[in-house]
Amino acid sequence: MRIGTLKETYIADAALFDSRTQKVWLAVGAALLVLFPFMASDYWLYLACLVSINVASATGLNILTGYTGLVSLGQAAFMGLGAYTVAVLETKVGTPFVLNLLAGGFVAMLGGIVVGIPSLRVKGLYLAIATIAASFIAHFIFANWKFTGGTGGLSVPPAKLLGMALDTSFRLYWLIVPVTILMLLGAANLFRTRVGRAFIAIRDRDISAEVLGIPLLRYKLLSFGLSSFYAGVAGGLWAYFFRVVTPESFPLLMSIFFLAAIIVGGMGSILGGILGAVFMTMVPELLKLVVDLMPGGSELTVFLSPVRTVIFGLLIIGFLVFEPHGLAEVWRRVRRFFHLWPFRN
Amino acid sequence: MDTPHTSLQRRSLLAAAAGAVALTHPLSVLAQGAEEIVIGGSIPLTGVFAFAGVGINAGMGDYVKMLNDAGGIKGRKVKYVPEDTGYKVDVSVAAFKKITSQNKVNLYYGDSTGFSKTINPELDRNGNILMAGASFATELNDPKKYPNQFLVGPDYTEMFGILLKHIAKEKPGAKVAFVYSDSEFGRDPIESSEAMAKQLGLSVPIKIMTPAGSVDVSTEVIKLRRAAPDYTIFHGYILAPIPEFITQGKQQGMTSKWMGTFWTMDSSTVMKMGEAADGFMGVMPYRYYYDTEKAPMLEKIRALRPEYQSTAYIQGFLAAMLFTEAAKRTLDAGKPLDGKNLKAALNSIKDFDTGGLIGVPITISGNSIPVGRVYRADMKAQKMVAASDWIKL
Repeated sequence: MRIGTLKETYIADAALFDSRTQKVWLAVGAALLVLFPFMASDYWLYLACLVSINVASATGLNILTGYTGLVSLGQAAFMGLGAYTVAVLETKVGTPFVLNLLAGGFVAMLGGIVVGIPSLRVKGLYLAIATIAASFIAHFIFANWKFTGGTGGLSVPPAKLLGMALDTSFRLYWLIVPVTILMLLGAANLFRTRVGRAFIAIRDRDISAEVLGIPLLRYKLLSFGLSSFYAGVAGGLWAYFFRVVTPESFPLLMSIFFLAAIIVGGMGSILGGILGAVFMTMVPELLKLVVDLMPGGSELTVFLSPVRTVIFGLLIIGFLVFEPHGLAEVWRRVRRFFHLWPFRN
Repeated sequence: MDTPHTSLQRRSLLAAAAGAVALTHPLSVLAQGAEEIVIGGSIPLTGVFAFAGVGINAGMGDYVKMLNDAGGIKGRKVKYVPEDTGYKVDVSVAAFKKITSQNKVNLYYGDSTGFSKTINPELDRNGNILMAGASFATELNDPKKYPNQFLVGPDYTEMFGILLKHIAKEKPGAKVAFVYSDSEFGRDPIESSEAMAKQLGLSVPIKIMTPAGSVDVSTEVIKLRRAAPDYTIFHGYILAPIPEFITQGKQQGMTSKWMGTFWTMDSSTVMKMGEAADGFMGVMPYRYYYDTEKAPMLEKIRALRPEYQSTAYIQGFLAAMLFTEAAKRTLDAGKPLDGKNLKAALNSIKDFDTGGLIGVPITISGNSIPVGRVYRADMKAQKMVAASDWIKL
C-alpha cells in the first residue's frame, strides 16, 4: 500500500520517476522488452516494431496538440518527409543509418516549422486545415519529383549495423524500440524544462503566456519543429521497416490515425500517446484474433470482417463518450485504486 | 490464506499469462500436418477494395475445396489461410507475418502493388514462398527484380497493348486518348503505352490525368472533345469518373469508343454505368461467368455457385489453379516446395489448358500471362460480349 510520497528536495520533486515502486516496474518493463524478441513469433515482433514507430509519431503529435494546443493534420506528411529523406540518403548517398534518421528528423523539422508559420494567426480547426495543405503539397512533391522516384517510389536497402543488415523484425526491433524509448524519455524530460512549461502555458491560454513573456511565434514554431522531428524520425524508421516508400504510403488518413491515437490515449500525457498508439494499432489485430477463434471458416471471416471494423469504430466512440480524458486517465484511476486499497475502492 | 478476492486475481493473471503465451507461441505450427500444402492470403475483405477481395477469397477457397475433394495434390491436402487486410499495406504485412508464423506457407496471395513491393525483400530472404496477387503492376513483371512473384494475367502495359493491337486492327492510324488517375495504379502503363501506340501506327493526341474517383470532370471532357479521339482508354479507376466522362462526352457529340482495363471490366461494374455505357469496351484476361463458349471449369463453377461470380472470383480461382499446378509439377519432379522450384515449375507451364477460364492455352515464360480479349457491354442483354478473338502479345 502506498498512500503518499515524501519529497524533501526540489530535485526529488522534479524527478522523472518519483517512487521506488515506479522504478521497479520500469525495470520489469525494460526486462520484458529485452526478453520479448526471444520469446515472440515473427508476427508479434512485427507488431511490436509497428507499434513502436506509431508510438514515436503519436508522441510527437502529442507535444504539438496535447501539450501546446495546436491541432495538426500533417503528421503523416512529416513522416513522409523523414521517410523519403532516409530513402534518398540510403539509396543515393549511402550514409550510415543513424545519420540518415537524424537527417530525416531535421528535414521534417524544417517542413514543420514552415507549416507552423500560420499558427500565430490561426488556431483550432483553421490550423488543422492549414496543416492538411502540408499533406497535399508533400504528396505532390513525392509523386512528381524524379528524385523521389515518382509514383513508383523508392526501394530502401536495409539499415546496416557493423556490416549486419537489419532486415528481419528481430533485428529491426533492436533499432526501432531503443530509438522510440529515447524519444519518449526526451519528450518526458521536455516538460520538466522551461521550453515544455512554455508549451503548456501556450496551450492553457496563449494571450496570458505572451503577457508572461513567452514569445509565441518562437515557441509555437519550436513545438511544430519538435513534433515534426519526431514524425521525421518515425518516418525514417518506417522506411527501414517497410523498405519501400511511395507517395501513397503516407495518406491523410494516417494523420487522422495519429490524432485519434492521442485523443483515445489522452492528450497532454506521454503515457496517453503510448497507450493511444498501442490501442489504435493493436485493437484491430486483437479483434482479428477473436474472429479467428470463432468456428465457421473463411465464410464467417467474410461476414465478420466488416463487423470487426464497426466494433473498432464503436470502441473509439465509446472511449470518447465514457472516458474523454483517454486511456491514460483509466490507467491513473487503476493506479489510484491500488494506492488507496484497501481503504477506498 | 488467500482471500477469495486475491485468489481470483491470481487465477485471472495466470489465465492472462497462459493466453499471452499461447498467442506468442504459435502451437498451430506443431499441429499442422507435415504433408499439407499451404496457400496464405492477404485478402481485402473490408475497405475500398473489398468488392474484389470477397470474390478473390471465394474463388481461391472454391478451387482449393474442389482440389481437396478430388484427393489433393499427390495425396497431399491443400490448406487455404486467408486474412483480412482492409487494403492497407501495414495490415497486409501483419497478415503475412501472422500466417507465415503459424503455418509453413508455400504459396501466398497478396492484395496490392504496395504489398507486393514491400514484401518482396522478405520473399527473397525467406526463399520458401511463391507469390501472386491482385496487382497487375508493370513493375512486378520483372523476373529478375521479383523472382518469387507472378501476375495472374497481363500487366497493365500489356493490357494497353492488347487494346492498342485491337484498335490498330480495327481502325489503322486511329487517334487514342489516355485518361488515367493520378496514382501509381493510374500512371503505371501510360508512358510505355504511348510508345507502343506509335509503334502500331496509332497517335495519342491527348493524355488526361484526374484525381482517382473524381466527379466533376467537365473541363477535362472539353479538352477531350477538342482532341476528338477515335478511342478513349480509361485506366486507374474502378468506376468514377468514367460514367461522367462518357455521359458528358456523348452529350457534346463525341464519337469516341470508350475502353477500360481489368478492374473496371467486371460485368457488375460496367452495368452500373447505365445506358450511357452501351458499347463500352475493355480488356479482360478471363472469360465471364456467363460465357457460353465451351469451358468445363466455368461449368463446374456455375454448378457450385448458381449466382453470378465476378471476374475477381475467376482471378482468385485461376491463381489457386496455377499455384497448385506449380506445386504439382514441383512434387512430380521430386523437388522440395521452395520459392525457386515453384517458380521454375510455374515457368515450365506451356500451352496449359485452364478449363476455359482463359480461352486459349497459356504459357508463362516470365512473370505474367500476356493474353486477353476485348469485350463489349451489351446493355440490353446486361452482359459483356466478346468483341475480339483472344490476343496474345
